[in-house]
Amino acid sequence: MDDFKIILFLCNWGPHTAFQTLQDNGSEIPDQISMIRIPCTGRISKSLLFRAFEMGADGVVLLGCQPGTCRYGSGTATARENTEDTRDIIGMLGLGKERLGHATFLPDESDLLLQFLNDFCDQIRSLGPSPLLPIPMPESESVSRESVAEIVSYHDAFACQDCGKCSSACPLALIGKPFSPRELVNSIIAGNIDSPSVNKDIWSCLTCGLCYDRCPSAVNFPEFIRDIRHVVRKNGGNAREAHGGFFQSLMRAMTWPGLKTQRWDWLPKDVDLDAKSKILFFGGCAPYFDIFFRNHLNVETTNIIEDSLRLLNFFDIKPALFKDERCCGHDLLWSGDEENFLKLAKMNVDSIHNLGIEEVITACPECYRTLAHDYPKHGIPLNFKVTHIYELLEKEIGKGAIDFKKIDKKITFQDSCRLNWLEKPADLPRKLIRRLKPIRFREMQNNGSAAICCGNCAWTGCDAFSKALQVKRLRQAHDTESELLVTACPKCQIHLRCAMEDPFLGEELNMEMIDLTGIIAKTICWE
Amino acid sequence: MTDSQNHQQGKKEIIITGFGGQGIVLAGIILGKAAAIGEHMESTLVQSYGPESRGGSCNAQVVISREMIHYPYVSHPDILVCMSQSGYDKLIDQIKEKGTLIIDQDLVRPGRGLTCDFFSIPATGMAEALGRVMIANIIMLGFLTAVTNVISMDAAQKSVLESVPKGTEKLNTTAFQKGHDYGLATLKGRQKKAAGQAGAMS
Repeated sequence: MDDFKIILFLCNWGPHTAFQTLQDNGSEIPDQISMIRIPCTGRISKSLLFRAFEMGADGVVLLGCQPGTCRYGSGTATARENTEDTRDIIGMLGLGKERLGHATFLPDESDLLLQFLNDFCDQIRSLGPSPLLPIPMPESESVSRESVAEIVSYHDAFACQDCGKCSSACPLALIGKPFSPRELVNSIIAGNIDSPSVNKDIWSCLTCGLCYDRCPSAVNFPEFIRDIRHVVRKNGGNAREAHGGFFQSLMRAMTWPGLKTQRWDWLPKDVDLDAKSKILFFGGCAPYFDIFFRNHLNVETTNIIEDSLRLLNFFDIKPALFKDERCCGHDLLWSGDEENFLKLAKMNVDSIHNLGIEEVITACPECYRTLAHDYPKHGIPLNFKVTHIYELLEKEIGKGAIDFKKIDKKITFQDSCRLNWLEKPADLPRKLIRRLKPIRFREMQNNGSAAICCGNCAWTGCDAFSKALQVKRLRQAHDTESELLVTACPKCQIHLRCAMEDPFLGEELNMEMIDLTGIIAKTICWE
Repeated sequence: MTDSQNHQQGKKEIIITGFGGQGIVLAGIILGKAAAIGEHMESTLVQSYGPESRGGSCNAQVVISREMIHYPYVSHPDILVCMSQSGYDKLIDQIKEKGTLIIDQDLVRPGRGLTCDFFSIPATGMAEALGRVMIANIIMLGFLTAVTNVISMDAAQKSVLESVPKGTEKLNTTAFQKGHDYGLATLKGRQKKAAGQAGAMS
């Protein structure tokens, strides 16, 4: 097989000289290699490395300067970390770690470079083509007035009474961002969908739902924004994706049918599973997040999955796991990529139906909302029941004979937006928390239906105001004089941890965090 | 008659004790009916009668057997169900050595050094949570059905439905189910603890 593509990111400084020597000498550099000259390997982020695979590369190499010879000091070290993280993620995704390489060369090491390139080519040749085929970018079409008008009338945005309750409740507006849901709706109704301010603001919305709660006309602003985002993205609008769009790329990559993901390999062996069970545990993307953020935030959101499985085992439930599990599509749906969301949804539902599953349990609020509500709403019917683990825990613990060990800490709780605005599980986290035995449980200033978001949703529109929001939230948590912040969503853990890394405020904000499933799993016992 | 003979003939002597008005006698009636009608066994009921029925101590003595019962009074119960502290204090010394003690933990504080098999359930608290404190007796029956094997779940449930006032069937079914679930969870917890799996992480 010789029909494959390798993208070579080549640093301008050290290895480029060696590469030029090869060209000058007329050495045979494999045809499959397309070279891209870059100023420094440290600037090739995880998202750029992954984007190459998303666009159809079978192998990617990052060639930089040897440690100590980097023109900018830290480039080589950064490149090594980025490559390691991306390698582990593509490994988990089932592409094969070996498709991504990183090496360093001195300017005079042209022979070694040629040897390396030939070896890498052989390696990719033996691996065969990547299971990812290029995903066509949506063709840019102008936003039709009709489609915007349709969305406006579908969500009955005309019912807006201009009262401004949304803007006075919006966490972003309250933190000082020049952002107003009321003004945004009015601009869109007035037909200014192309205006720069609308194009910017629709990506800032947290879609947390506070405005919807306050709206006297019940305009579902989050879903309205979601649908407008879809139209604008189709128009080629910049979705202002955070982390260079890495997560959107990752989730789009999961739409490829040929993928054989290995997302469960990390799971401890003593967790009891039963492949034939009619109950399926849907894990979510936490394992990918943990790899992506391991050098930065050191988050441990996979614990939520492990703790949930242990809790199921505690109640003698041995669930099946889903080998082909793909992202539920939440973040794609909420960042305007409805097409790929639908692909993921169909694949997940088909696979679950093929397994003959009767009940799907999940611990992620986003997965829960997406599976239980957004799949059916987007025309994908479910033949199974979707249960959030809190429902199951409340039911099982409610049967009795369960006790909890004392927690030697004062605790407070960060609500999850995605659970807060659904009727069924909204008060469940608090019921469960009240069963625990901490020194004290005290609510934050904004809690329950007034709770504020962790600062970002669907990996889009993150900016300084997101950080300000996180700082505000963590200060509220500290104001309760608690020592432990209990959360209900892996994203809250990631985003709040981000503010704790702040070089100036980090120490003041730092607070121990644990997911609700984690604290239950650690303290639950038979009476 | 010795204990072992009792056991062979499947004879069980039960005392349910509590305050008048808690539905102690009704619980006894339901239990006896379930055995007689549902399980085709013999059963007798002796109920304390008198001023007690207006708030004082009260008890129901039930005998269930495969064979004809010659004497309906119970002095040494196999199963003692206590829904009041005074009832517990009065009868705890009479329970058989390998008997089963069941208490409502909201109302009874058990003494130390119990040698018999011991179960507890917060029946009154659970009944309050259901909105009707008088349903505690049915919760207790559900619990008793789960932790002992005197009568079957089916027979007990039918008997409950036949004996409670019309219009309260749904509430009573829920209460019975709650008590039964609690009983099963208690048994499961014991089993798990015995196997060394007290918590989720160990």
